[in-house]
Amino acid sequence: MKCILIVEDDPNLRRLYQIELEAEGYSIMIAENGRQALERVAEKMPDVVVMDIRMPEMDGLNAMVEILQQHHKVPVILNTAYSCYMDDFLAWASEGYIIKSSDLAPLKAKIREVLAARESSRPAG
Amino acid sequence: MISHGENSRPDDFENDSLKSRVAELTILCEVSRALQRTFNQTKALYTILVGVSAGPGLGFNRAFLLLVDEKERTLKGRMAVGPDSPEAASVIWAQLRGKHKSLGDLLSALDESAIRLDARVNEIAAQFNIPLSDPSHPLIRIMRSHEVARAQNGYFAPHGLAVDPQTSQLLGCDEFAVAPLFLAQRDLGLLIADNAIMRSPIANTNLRMLQIFAQEAGAAIWNTLLYQELVEHIRLQEEANAELRINQERLIQAERLSTMGKMAALLAHEIRTPLVSIGGFARRLLRATPPDDSRREEMEIIVSEVARLEYLVREVLGFSRISQPVRETCDVNALVESVVTHMQESIRQNQVRTQLDLSPGLRPASMDESQMRQAIMNLVTNALDAMPSGGTLSLSTAADGDYLEIGVHDTGAGIIKEHYSKLFTPFFTTKSSGTGLGLVMVSQVVDHHRGSLRFDSRPGKGTSFHIRLPFGQDSAETPASLSPPGKREEVDP
Repeated sequence: MKCILIVEDDPNLRRLYQIELEAEGYSIMIAENGRQALERVAEKMPDVVVMDIRMPEMDGLNAMVEILQQHHKVPVILNTAYSCYMDDFLAWASEGYIIKSSDLAPLKAKIREVLAARESSRPAG
Repeated sequence: MISHGENSRPDDFENDSLKSRVAELTILCEVSRALQRTFNQTKALYTILVGVSAGPGLGFNRAFLLLVDEKERTLKGRMAVGPDSPEAASVIWAQLRGKHKSLGDLLSALDESAIRLDARVNEIAAQFNIPLSDPSHPLIRIMRSHEVARAQNGYFAPHGLAVDPQTSQLLGCDEFAVAPLFLAQRDLGLLIADNAIMRSPIANTNLRMLQIFAQEAGAAIWNTLLYQELVEHIRLQEEANAELRINQERLIQAERLSTMGKMAALLAHEIRTPLVSIGGFARRLLRATPPDDSRREEMEIIVSEVARLEYLVREVLGFSRISQPVRETCDVNALVESVVTHMQESIRQNQVRTQLDLSPGLRPASMDESQMRQAIMNLVTNALDAMPSGGTLSLSTAADGDYLEIGVHDTGAGIIKEHYSKLFTPFFTTKSSGTGLGLVMVSQVVDHHRGSLRFDSRPGKGTSFHIRLPFGQDSAETPASLSPPGKREEVDP
């Protein structure tokens, strides 16, 4: 079962993403901010990180950079209410940039796409 | 000079001389008063000339005014007064005397529009055009000398200069008086007076009077020049002020827009997260509800209303995000075509016919393609909204020199005049579901591209919007394959 780390400071959205992604057949880890995300990753390596950007303690971009420095293979999808970070060069390191919407289809599609790409790039055997 | 002969009767002579002196001074006084009252140059010049040639006073037959033209650096004939013949002269003065009690009365009744210039003398005046750079010209020398001269027997006295044949030929007489017009050190022109009609000699007293008169006239002309300059200064100042006001208003409007945009963006971001929660959970509930459940309809309302709010948020944020364009070379025809393809679904829903009138071989333009795409899409959306029950949507492109024109035309209801001024005001909309940001965004994008946006609309006939943009520098560049070898960039293998 593929494991997704959801990093999100809004409790309602955490709940929504957890339920929706579990229904898609993923196992879910949860972090409430960037700092917690680093702790979770240290405990267990997820297959994909879905990362909010604006969060207390440590924002998503810095958390992503830290994670990528330690485990540069893990794909991070930025999932934010803001489009302005698209121009931030840190955001270029992500595998995808999703603007939050009540329609989760784009997010789910991006997760599938990232996982599939990872699958195909992995050496056979 | 007048001398007291032994045989003359001193009393009578004194009497006559005194009388004529009084008459002269009266005229001088009246003309001077009239001159002080006017800042109108035409009126001032005419007053001077009438004073010189008024029957009872100085009594010259004709008078010509030549003024220095600072721009052309010439001494130019400006105006003249005088009859064509002795008969005409007596008629004119008789008429004037009949109408007016005195010269002062005549001059104060003078109205610029009533000035009828005698054709013949003004034709002569118009032919005086002496370059100031010709210091040997006798008229220029007399002007600079600031001393009155009399031409007689081919010479100017007291200057001793030979009369140039051109001047006497123009005037048609050999004897005439020339009085320089000046103020302080500044040369203003010349006053030329003669008795060519009555063929009478010029009396010394008249010459002296002309000199005094010319001083008065110089001051008056100087006044009118200053006045004209002042009026011109005031006009320029007013123009500058008006421009400043417009710029200030523009700045305030821009500032207002920017503040509005920032506030709208802040609010929109705050709203976005709860909207995702509401809409996301509503979608979940909807999916989990059986098809025959009556609550489905209510859930669908929540889902679709949240979707509408999210759309508004996107619009507002999209608007507040319009930044300086990131230019790239763009095929505008392809861009317009892609907008139509992208909006095919809405076009079909509105049962609208599309017509593309794209200029073949249009050269590429330098622009922010995504901004321009959004701008064209906004115009097309408006066009479609204006044609809810069908019509024709036409898009056009054209080149006009260094400019590119993109047109979006509809056959819809048109824009009513009362809405013209509000069209580009943020949040103004006539639609039930619009944000009122579409056209503001278009105009901002066009502004950022240093272009212009105009529209024409006829109620019941339709509306056309025209985006006009410079092609931009990039489009003028020679394609790499055509550039000379020396200019081509070397690329490492």
